[in-house]
Amino acid sequence: MVRDMGMIRIGSIASILSAFVLSACATVEPGSMVGTLVSLPAAIKADVARRREGIQPPVTVTPAMLAATKEAALQVNPLSLGGSNFLKRSVQRRDGQPGIVEVWRTSENQQLFLRGGVLIGSRGLGGDILSSDVSSALSAFVSGMSKQGQRRYVISRGDHASGDIVLQCSYRFMGLGETLVVDQVYRTQHFREQCKAPNISISNDYWVQPESGTVRKSRQWAGPTVGYFEMILLKG
Amino acid sequence: MRAVIRHIAFAGAASLFCAGGATAQAVTPEDIFAIGERPTLNFYGAAGGIDTPSGEAMPDGQFAVGISSFGGITRTTLSFQATPRMSFSFRYAGIQDWNSAGFETYRDRSFDFRFLVNRESRFLPAVTVGLQDFAGTGIYAGEYIAATKTFEGTRLPGRIKLTGGLGWGRLGSVAGVSANRPSFVPGADGGKPAYDQWFRGKAAPFAALEWQVNDRLGLKAEYSSDAYVAESVDRDVFTRKSRFNFGAEYQASDRIRLGAYYLYGSEFGVNMQVQLNPKQPISPLKITPAAPIALRPSRAAQPQAWTTSWASNPAAPKVLRDALIPAMEAEGLTLTELKLEASTAEVRFRNDRYGATTVAVGRAARILAQSLPPSVETFRLVPVVNNLAQSAVVIKRSSLERLEFAPDAPRSLLSATRFDEASPKLIGGVRNDALYPDFAWSISPYVSTSYFDPDEPVRIDGGIKLDASFKPAPGWVIAGQLRHRLAGNISDSVRDSNSVLPRVRTDGLRYAQAADTVLQKLYVSKQWKGSDDIYARVSAGYFERMFGGVSAEVLWKPVTSRLALGVEANYVKQRDFDGRLGFQDYSVATGHVSAYYEFGDGYQGQLDVGRYLAGDVGATVTLSREFANGWRVGGFFTLTDVSSEEFGEGSFDKGINLTIPVSWFIGTPGKRTLSTSIRPIQRDGGARLSVPGRLYDQVRSGHKRGLSEQWSGIWE
Repeated sequence: MVRDMGMIRIGSIASILSAFVLSACATVEPGSMVGTLVSLPAAIKADVARRREGIQPPVTVTPAMLAATKEAALQVNPLSLGGSNFLKRSVQRRDGQPGIVEVWRTSENQQLFLRGGVLIGSRGLGGDILSSDVSSALSAFVSGMSKQGQRRYVISRGDHASGDIVLQCSYRFMGLGETLVVDQVYRTQHFREQCKAPNISISNDYWVQPESGTVRKSRQWAGPTVGYFEMILLKG
Repeated sequence: MRAVIRHIAFAGAASLFCAGGATAQAVTPEDIFAIGERPTLNFYGAAGGIDTPSGEAMPDGQFAVGISSFGGITRTTLSFQATPRMSFSFRYAGIQDWNSAGFETYRDRSFDFRFLVNRESRFLPAVTVGLQDFAGTGIYAGEYIAATKTFEGTRLPGRIKLTGGLGWGRLGSVAGVSANRPSFVPGADGGKPAYDQWFRGKAAPFAALEWQVNDRLGLKAEYSSDAYVAESVDRDVFTRKSRFNFGAEYQASDRIRLGAYYLYGSEFGVNMQVQLNPKQPISPLKITPAAPIALRPSRAAQPQAWTTSWASNPAAPKVLRDALIPAMEAEGLTLTELKLEASTAEVRFRNDRYGATTVAVGRAARILAQSLPPSVETFRLVPVVNNLAQSAVVIKRSSLERLEFAPDAPRSLLSATRFDEASPKLIGGVRNDALYPDFAWSISPYVSTSYFDPDEPVRIDGGIKLDASFKPAPGWVIAGQLRHRLAGNISDSVRDSNSVLPRVRTDGLRYAQAADTVLQKLYVSKQWKGSDDIYARVSAGYFERMFGGVSAEVLWKPVTSRLALGVEANYVKQRDFDGRLGFQDYSVATGHVSAYYEFGDGYQGQLDVGRYLAGDVGATVTLSREFANGWRVGGFFTLTDVSSEEFGEGSFDKGINLTIPVSWFIGTPGKRTLSTSIRPIQRDGGARLSVPGRLYDQVRSGHKRGLSEQWSGIWE
């Protein structure tokens, strides 16, 4: 499941996406002794290779790449792990709760769930966010005002058990500004969600387009294993 | 210690999205699922200073391995924090230059028990009462009460822990010999709780100071109350010149701590402490996500899509079955049977991939939601293990659709789910015809071990094994295993059995010496459900290396019950040493009545009452704790009508069971586990037949409690 970001030569986002689709991972029969023996050295080797390489910078998307992209695309830059990934939207729906739910997926079918642009879940990352209550954040975006609220995460411990984190949050309107995405300029409101619980503090930033409520760019905590993600909505 | 922890955590995660190293973040897994501060370990592999205990407990569930050595004394200890307050240790020690009573090197096994009386608070210290080597006239027998207080934010950097305690037995031996407490006798049978000695005799105080200077470095100094009478007064193992010990420890990684010490004014020592927690996998499990649930069209907008007319088409079940089979196969599931009605579907399936049955149930539910006509609202999901339908997990399709992205998706779905009995047969269902007959075989390496031979504490054999199984019809299996030993030293032992009982287990050496190529097992078995709550098995053949015969078992286990009851009856003969088809003269009727109970939070108990292989009658008590990821740690003991003299060394049978899922190490889903049972000594009393395919563990994982304990897997 390891990709070498350094190997990717950028032509267009579309080609990146197709390269990801084509970069099949070796499949090992789970649970078999052979599987164990095969996957362990590979994992160790990949880990060693990663440490040697250090953090890769995020991919810089060019106007040409953006123009060549015909479908919805989300750039995700894992800040602590480095590099970039580009996700396709596979689901967009309403489910009776505030905010449109979107599922964005990588070529390896790792998934991020967003509700109104706020991260409510992930799958396939390890230590995933199983679900999250983001009603306070969404209501702050709608009102355009600072307020207090609560945020709840249900986090997988990575072993079929889960734990809850309940945080007390402040939602602060940081001001109006412009957000540049490749060569496109968007007028955005900057919100900061600062949440605290004993020994934990999480800080998420959102740049929201006031007219549509679209979160154009954000920096969000994506779980204890992967840390913070910068997310840029390249094409909605 | 945060820096160390972070490094490990993110190194494991870096393979997820793309290349990258590790940097600090505001939040770590430890911050969220606080495992708690780990105490450092002493030379006995338990929380403490250098050679004395402290008042602390390890975090709940913590598993520790300590290997220490000084003055020719080496101790290897396994410790397990079984509950937040109770911990147990098992230790194997070797003392060189013993040179008395026929022992050049004296080897001894011991068990400890600790109870945390008070958790440390702002003003009060952590207080622990402990029994060290509590079974019998052990060399390390000693009891203590210890209190530890932590000080932080003082003028000194880091953290300081101060421990004071009072010890009895060995831990009070600086106070002199006690008339009312017999000293230990080398080579005695031992093995029995010596409650008549606990906290008797003279007591002496001990104290320790620990300064954790920074994330990596710790310094320790202590005043020990152990006079080492047996080693330095009665014998010349080492020369004890002082009561003070000093040391420095280095946290080499998140799980490993190394220490160097100067002890008793004359000896240098080393200590390696390994601590891990079953709740924190080495690699968090990453499962390839399922596709999101496809919503049905609105009934109001497209009423024709909700028609039930398809249900009257006799071909529909087979068509849908054929569509479901590959979809389930792609998720590691095998459809065995399907029953369809206009609004209800029952799918029975085998889970071939996931350690947690809930993951398999969740995947099956989503496949049904993807594939079945919109009118099918109720899903009955029945995991099947070797022809035993475990339970019917009943989930409404509308609940799946509504709750997939809900703020508290796991709990909300659990409260909308029902756990029903699964009928023995699915009347009106269509089978997957491609499953039988089924033949499978594999060649793989094997390792077998033999522990605690005084001449060679760990003996290992290794070789290759050929496994083959043939399943002619549901529930039937004909299976065998052939082994060929390539190398090893188990057969090099010279310690033949001295047992006065029928040698049902202690002839292990003869079995090892007789042949390199052996038929390990070859048997035929049939298992089925007698009713909704009754499971049954009959088996015949060569069950294990030492015994073969016939076996029958019946188990009662309702889906929602904490209690299960079972009966097993066997008639077996002892196999020839050469591992071929012949038998020796010894035969025995053996069997048990068993009660199993799930206490909750993974704690389980088992009581087996019956007749054992040597013809002795008695009972076995097993207590174990199973974690959501499949880690299982347990202890057992057996008391029978065999006297401790007849039993021999150890007095009665007892030991530890340990099971670790391979997925815990490598982070990919799988059902493979590593299991071992460790007995201080294997004798013939209280020995139970090993029959392949006992029912309880096959059934429990798919019942309400087994599923609930791993429930978040439903959305993984």
